[in-house]
Amino acid sequence: MAPLLQLKHVVKRFGGLLATNDVSFDVEEGEVVFIIGPNGAGKTTLFNLISGYVTADSGEILYRGHNIVGLKPYQTTRLGIGRTFQIVKPLPSLTVRENVMLGSFLHAHSRAEAGRKADEVLAFLGLDKRADQLASGLPLAQRKMLEVARALATGAKLLLLDEVMAGLNPTESAEVVTLLRKLKDFGVTAVGGVEHIMRVVMALASRVVVMDQGGKLAEGSPQAVVHDPRVVEAYLGSKYQKGGAPT
Amino acid sequence: MSRSGLVSSAIFFGLLLSLPLWLKDAYLQQIVFRIVIFAILGMAWNLVGGYAGQLSLGHVAYFGIGAYSVALFHEAFDWNPWLGTLAGVVLACLAALLIGSLTFRLRGPYFVLSTIAAAEILRLLALNLSFTHGAIGMIAPGFFEEPNGDRKTYYAALPLLGVAFALTAWTHRSRFGYYLRAIRENEDTAMAVGINPAVEKLKALLFSAALVAAAGALYAGVFQFIGPDSVLAIDLSVQMALIAMLGGAATVWGPIVGAVVLTVAAEGLKAYLERAHLFFYGLLLVVVVLFLPGGLVSIVKQRWFRRTAARAQAA
Repeated sequence: MAPLLQLKHVVKRFGGLLATNDVSFDVEEGEVVFIIGPNGAGKTTLFNLISGYVTADSGEILYRGHNIVGLKPYQTTRLGIGRTFQIVKPLPSLTVRENVMLGSFLHAHSRAEAGRKADEVLAFLGLDKRADQLASGLPLAQRKMLEVARALATGAKLLLLDEVMAGLNPTESAEVVTLLRKLKDFGVTAVGGVEHIMRVVMALASRVVVMDQGGKLAEGSPQAVVHDPRVVEAYLGSKYQKGGAPT
Repeated sequence: MSRSGLVSSAIFFGLLLSLPLWLKDAYLQQIVFRIVIFAILGMAWNLVGGYAGQLSLGHVAYFGIGAYSVALFHEAFDWNPWLGTLAGVVLACLAALLIGSLTFRLRGPYFVLSTIAAAEILRLLALNLSFTHGAIGMIAPGFFEEPNGDRKTYYAALPLLGVAFALTAWTHRSRFGYYLRAIRENEDTAMAVGINPAVEKLKALLFSAALVAAAGALYAGVFQFIGPDSVLAIDLSVQMALIAMLGGAATVWGPIVGAVVLTVAAEGLKAYLERAHLFFYGLLLVVVVLFLPGGLVSIVKQRWFRRTAARAQAA
């Protein structure tokens, strides 16, 4: 079977800046893949390319075998690609349930059906107690969960999670990890973006793609990637490359 | 709609229906008629400016198209005003498609300016084309024969108010309304849940333009004399926005409250303001945006929230 998502030699330029430089990788169904890289490595651009917020200059992005380059974001959503944003953007004047309903309306025939689907997702993510609260009153960790809930409610099969861990304390990130593990049971493949190879990524990811300055630096299991000298160099500088201490 | 919402709308429309029976003063009747027309305009604007958050200041374009259609089709083909109204609504929808597909590409102040420009183009056309008789204006046919023509026109306006009200109440609760609010808050997030912002905004504008054009046609039938400065002036665009925002943008009752307050205030201040009314509107708009972003309706709503919260705590 073809991979759920395939990137083939994807290139994106912003003026003189090569934001995505010939990036290729696959995501199989049911996987949890993490894209890691320092600030400015091109992770968000990659998510924007897949979800259609920016269009690739060259290369192919195949979703279920179909090239989706050139599709608008609302079209990729309808195909089953959900996403969250680095900066969480709930609708503050609506309740938590209503925010999730925005997603479930997509495949619901009535308001009631959308409400039921929203409740299902909220229960799955453990947000059901907050359903009738205004979204503006949620703490950051739960606002991030709300973003995930809204994306799941659209019936997404591939979930792109931009900077899911940013701004969360260790307890909160552990909660997020538990939750992302459950996504597989929901029939959802997840691609997450994070800045650092954290304990949580090591525990969770089936595969890690390392980005640096727009290009793919390395790819493999979390274990293999942290020992890759190129990765160590990108993160810590060449002094650390051979395990020597800085002078 | 909730039960309390149904009851209050039943009382509201009952009052309006029975009004000519107990309000005999012709001057006051005329003010009520103005309130009804302004409420329709405010609700129509509210769909685009309130729910979808697209601050159009060119809505007078659709008003003018409605009004001029009644007059033009009467003069050219001797159409009765009802047919003229229908033509006006259709033409306004076509204009909305064109104006919307051009202006909705722009965001923020650029959008606002482009809507003003579109309306100004129409005003300049009406001012300079020969068949609209320029600044002299046009005679429009009345909808009803005398006697009691005014009262009949009032009753003709109520169904339009009913349509605008029902459309707003439906929008407030429906998928369409949620989609518009999502677009208002953030178009990128809206697209992430599968919303095509261009299509939803255009839908809202079509509903809105149709209502505004019908109100414009009604205006032409009542005053029976129209000109570029009365039915295509930017004042009216500003008033539509102000009515909705003063009462409460993206609420069902806001435009009605706004229409009552603004019409009564404008009437009371007319003697003192004369040509300064635009300054007054501008000042009011700034005050509302700065100090009462939720509009007058939000004052009541906040009190209600506080009371229910207090009750929940007591229980």
